[in-house]
Amino acid sequence: MRKFWCGFFIFWPIAAVVYSAVSPQFNWWFPGPSVTELGQRIDNLFYLILIIVTAVFIGTQVALGYVLWRASHSKAERAWFTHGSHNLEVIWSVVPSVILLFLALYQMDVWALFRVQSFFPKEALNAPVAEVTARQFEWRIRYPGLDEHGVPKKLHLKPQPDDLYTVNDLHVPIGRPVMINLRSDDVQHSFFLPHLRIKQDAVPGQIIPIWFKPERQGNFDLACAELCGWGHYKMRAQLIVEREVEFQAYLQKLRADQNYDGHATPSAVAKKDE
Amino acid sequence: MSVRWQSLIVGLACALAGCGGDGSQMRFVENSTLAKPVHRKARVVVTKQLEEHFGTPLNSVAWLKLPVKYGRAEGKVTAIEDQTVTVELNAESADLTGFDAADFAGTELLLTSGANQGKTVTLVTFDGKKKTFEMAASDVVPAVNDQFVAGGNVLRHGRKLYARHCQHCHGISGDGDGPTAKYLNPRPRDYRQGKFKFTSTAGPAGKATRDDLRRIVGQGIPGTYMPAFVPMLKDGEMTAIIEYVRWLALRGEVEWQLLGQFKEDYAADRAKKEAKEPVDQAKSAVDQAKLAIKEIDETIKANTDESKKAELDGSKKEAKAALAAAEKELDKAKSQMSAKETEAEKQLDTQLKEFEKAGLAELLEEVTGDLADKWNAVEEEGALIIPEMARVPDSAESRKNGKELFFGKVANCVNCHGLAGKGNGAQTEEVGKNLRTGELYPAPGLYDDWDQPIKPRDLTRGIYRGGRRPIDLYRRLTQGIKGTPMPGAPKTLKPEQIWDLVNYVLSIPFDPSTPKAAPAHSVVGQSGEKGHAN
Repeated sequence: MRKFWCGFFIFWPIAAVVYSAVSPQFNWWFPGPSVTELGQRIDNLFYLILIIVTAVFIGTQVALGYVLWRASHSKAERAWFTHGSHNLEVIWSVVPSVILLFLALYQMDVWALFRVQSFFPKEALNAPVAEVTARQFEWRIRYPGLDEHGVPKKLHLKPQPDDLYTVNDLHVPIGRPVMINLRSDDVQHSFFLPHLRIKQDAVPGQIIPIWFKPERQGNFDLACAELCGWGHYKMRAQLIVEREVEFQAYLQKLRADQNYDGHATPSAVAKKDE
Repeated sequence: MSVRWQSLIVGLACALAGCGGDGSQMRFVENSTLAKPVHRKARVVVTKQLEEHFGTPLNSVAWLKLPVKYGRAEGKVTAIEDQTVTVELNAESADLTGFDAADFAGTELLLTSGANQGKTVTLVTFDGKKKTFEMAASDVVPAVNDQFVAGGNVLRHGRKLYARHCQHCHGISGDGDGPTAKYLNPRPRDYRQGKFKFTSTAGPAGKATRDDLRRIVGQGIPGTYMPAFVPMLKDGEMTAIIEYVRWLALRGEVEWQLLGQFKEDYAADRAKKEAKEPVDQAKSAVDQAKLAIKEIDETIKANTDESKKAELDGSKKEAKAALAAAEKELDKAKSQMSAKETEAEKQLDTQLKEFEKAGLAELLEEVTGDLADKWNAVEEEGALIIPEMARVPDSAESRKNGKELFFGKVANCVNCHGLAGKGNGAQTEEVGKNLRTGELYPAPGLYDDWDQPIKPRDLTRGIYRGGRRPIDLYRRLTQGIKGTPMPGAPKTLKPEQIWDLVNYVLSIPFDPSTPKAAPAHSVVGQSGEKGHAN
């Protein structure tokens, strides 16, 4: 039986390391590389912490396994009891503190870029592309209207007569920083873009800006990551990253659809709606 | 230790197996408000009919008389190779579009001609491009040129999706009374009247088109708890859900019509009423006799002429005898009442049985034919409301004209939507009459066809439930909102006047002269309005 426990505690660290090592190949890990550079840096932070805790985990498990193995090996050797060692305690308090302090300082620029408005790219901060309002159980999206040249106007906090509306379908251009204003209509939700490593709570009564610079075209999941009610799972939307021209064309189409009066030529989608 | 290990293993086994029930709680419920005044035997007949033609939630029947696209395919076999049957579909089988291979998994192909006529083959998949079915291994081998009918899986697929996404609000029977329904305002739609609020077609029946339903399911209804289901639901899934909702609505309507018919002929209190009739007659005879005696008594009192006295006494005697006879008659009627009731019950029973044999099929034919006509009419080309003219440019003048109409006697929007468009017009303070029951509503305000209190839309909020496009507002204005007190605009209004109204209504949230709600909080950077326009 002693051998069993010895093997049991040695098995798990080995299993954990093997599992972690093969995970990326089977896509059990992150959903692919991040679509944003900032997301990549967040991943790197994650890996750094993972490496530190893996080293500590393996070290403690090996020590535990060794002790168990030695104790199961000979009955003659007796365990000894100690009231503790002041030096040891200092060491195991100071070393983790130093690591923690290091992490806290090391991640500061990523955090600032991600959360602190004065570090946001100015072009994104000055011209939010859309307002995303979470509500039970959908994402309502409001783009600013277009001027006579087809260029998006400034997004106002209050709705304007020519605003463009969609639901569950957020389009953004590729290759430039974009910012959205996040709101909630009812309860707390969480704006979660797993492929961009973005997760931000939507809090009723607050407007929370989120910026990102997508570097890859595609259709990505947008989900709610805060249990918000019985229909929480229904809050599944999509983020579509497309080229600037496509994005502008999308806004034009949105405007044509929204102004459809039965006579103007609606776009293909509007026709499908009819 | 061994005990602990055992319990761990048992726990795992339970988790893997799941605690599956047999789903026996899934059943359609009777439309109780409608069924109440109907005789219980007639109710049984209705339930039996519904079960025969619609089945149960877990074993639905695709009744072909209904205007529902079940994904049924008809055609003939053109080639056969191993388990793959290549087919040629009839032109009418075009309703297969939108269904993928999974819709045919586990369904049956019935051969209608050839050596294997009447035999069935189980299908595995369907390839829409190559027009081939993959068969499961079977003794029956179709031959080239055999005619067949293959059943799509639409109802089963739709039912599963409906159960997952819709049922907890809209209910198993589509009665809008699922477990979460009671927490919602407005209430989830009860499909059983076949009424859907936001439709794009005209016509007195005003059924919803498939595209109307697709729009609501896909885009949701802003300002209510109906969420948008795109992109979560894919195209084929939407098709299946929409057909299932139509099927549920038609089931509710058939139930509605049958119960409505039976309410007249087989009322719950019919036998009792019939049995009571002679008693009531006898009672009124007694009352008359009593009245006659009273009259004679009064005449006697007032009489001063001695010569007439004898005559009057005589007639009083006669009247008394009549009263005694009437009372005797009443006693007799009373004693016979229960027997009469039994007899009337028996008569009702035979009449119902006869009807079941002879008239019921005809009635069902009539009901389903009528429903199919109504539901198909809105799908026809030309049913869609397209304004006669393009939108009048949104100018200050057009808005002014619209405003005049809003307050005017013809459109009279102000009556419900109020002076500021906040949905608090004079009508919302009045006690209305339920046109179906003839009774007054319990509280002042407006009510919809489902007898739920309903508020006129607050037009200052910029939330448009039926859609915010000009065409959506035009359709709301011209045909009203089905099942609600919102009427269609009078025919006397010209299209340009409707457009003026649309322009005015769209401008209300931004009109500086309309009073706004005071900001709820003074949070920096927060816009004041509650539930912002979206």
